[in-house]
Amino acid sequence: MSDAPASPCGGGGGGSHESGEHSPRSNFREQDRFLPIANISRIMKKALPPNGKIAKDAKETVQECVSEFISFVTSEASDKCQREKRKTINGDDLLWAMTTLGFEEYIDPLKVYLAAYREGDSKGSAKGGDASAKRDVYQSPNGQVAHQGSFSQGVNYTNS
Amino acid sequence: MDHQGHGHGHGQNPSMGVVGNGPQFPYGSNPYQASHMTGSPGMVVASPGTIQSTGQPPSTQLGQHQLAYQHMHQQQQQQLRQRLQAFWANQYQEIEKVTDFKNHSLPLARIKKIMKADEDVRMISAEAPVIFARACEMFILELTLRSWNHTEENKRRTLQKNDIAAAITRTDIFDFLVDIVPREDLKDEVLASMPRGDVPVTGPPEALPYCYMPPQQVGAAGVMMGNKPVMDPYAQQTHPYNMAPQLWPQPPPPPEQQQSSPDQ
Repeated sequence: MSDAPASPCGGGGGGSHESGEHSPRSNFREQDRFLPIANISRIMKKALPPNGKIAKDAKETVQECVSEFISFVTSEASDKCQREKRKTINGDDLLWAMTTLGFEEYIDPLKVYLAAYREGDSKGSAKGGDASAKRDVYQSPNGQVAHQGSFSQGVNYTNS
Repeated sequence: MDHQGHGHGHGQNPSMGVVGNGPQFPYGSNPYQASHMTGSPGMVVASPGTIQSTGQPPSTQLGQHQLAYQHMHQQQQQQLRQRLQAFWANQYQEIEKVTDFKNHSLPLARIKKIMKADEDVRMISAEAPVIFARACEMFILELTLRSWNHTEENKRRTLQKNDIAAAITRTDIFDFLVDIVPREDLKDEVLASMPRGDVPVTGPPEALPYCYMPPQQVGAAGVMMGNKPVMDPYAQQTHPYNMAPQLWPQPPPPPEQQQSSPDQ
């Protein structure tokens, strides 16, 4: 049950990304609909004891479940953005969506992770001169323009 | 990553399974001896031609099996809760230590593609796939941990698709995944997770679970009922948690079926 080589973990560069062609899911190539099975297998093994093994169909099922999880949370976050007349889905929207959908356990670790990411990001952009000007700007609910990086980190993710 | 709360030491004999804090059974052994019933309730076929009475009516035996099942199930649930608590505490500690946001366990570009598959999604901030990469890792770990609990319940060492079906069925927040797992796996899991005594035996035959056999056909393997040898319908069937097969209520059989024919 040897794993295929892991795909490079690149992508998701700076700034926001306008999704060009809104192709329905059926138009996606099979391998683009799912995350690489080698990466998923590697993560699954962390949760098992050393003598535990994973059947191929179990890996494929988890692979499908993860894609469904991404779509499920994204859909909820996207609805929130539409209600608030914003175009860009950010980290806070995802955390809010996860809370709404019952994944409360995920929120505390991810809040810490998001804060650390933003802190590192703001340090990096300070070094890069006017790089901060290129970052996402979106309309906040109260009508003020806010930078995504400094968006209130103490947001309360309770269901609204 | 330390396997905290797994209860699997490196020196442990892999052929032994620990169920909660209870006694250890080798994986091949059956802690419950299945007794195949025929004749009137309370009678056990010791060998073809002899019938002896047990001290307890079947309802008492069923009650004992259910108690044993519930006790095991509670221990397993408690063990799972402890593992999950340790898991979430561990996740929090690990995330506090993270300093590298360049390398991720899952490819951000692929995550972004899956997000964009939703036609309503217009723009995605740079931080969204980063958060998702971590959230997906936690999701995979939690789903695997819950699935492995079912693998251990069945005294296996290989995590299978039906274990994932079990985790999905047992966890409310995973309800959105029910369409991914085939109906059969979910149905089997729902039946398996019920103590056998809870299966209703009233109503029309089509309302009964698929493993139901009409009472007049139930007999121990090779037992003569009337003039026809009857095979045990449960002989090839696996029972979750090694439970004895369900003993369906039977009407008292006619006298000629009480004993096997004299030429045997």
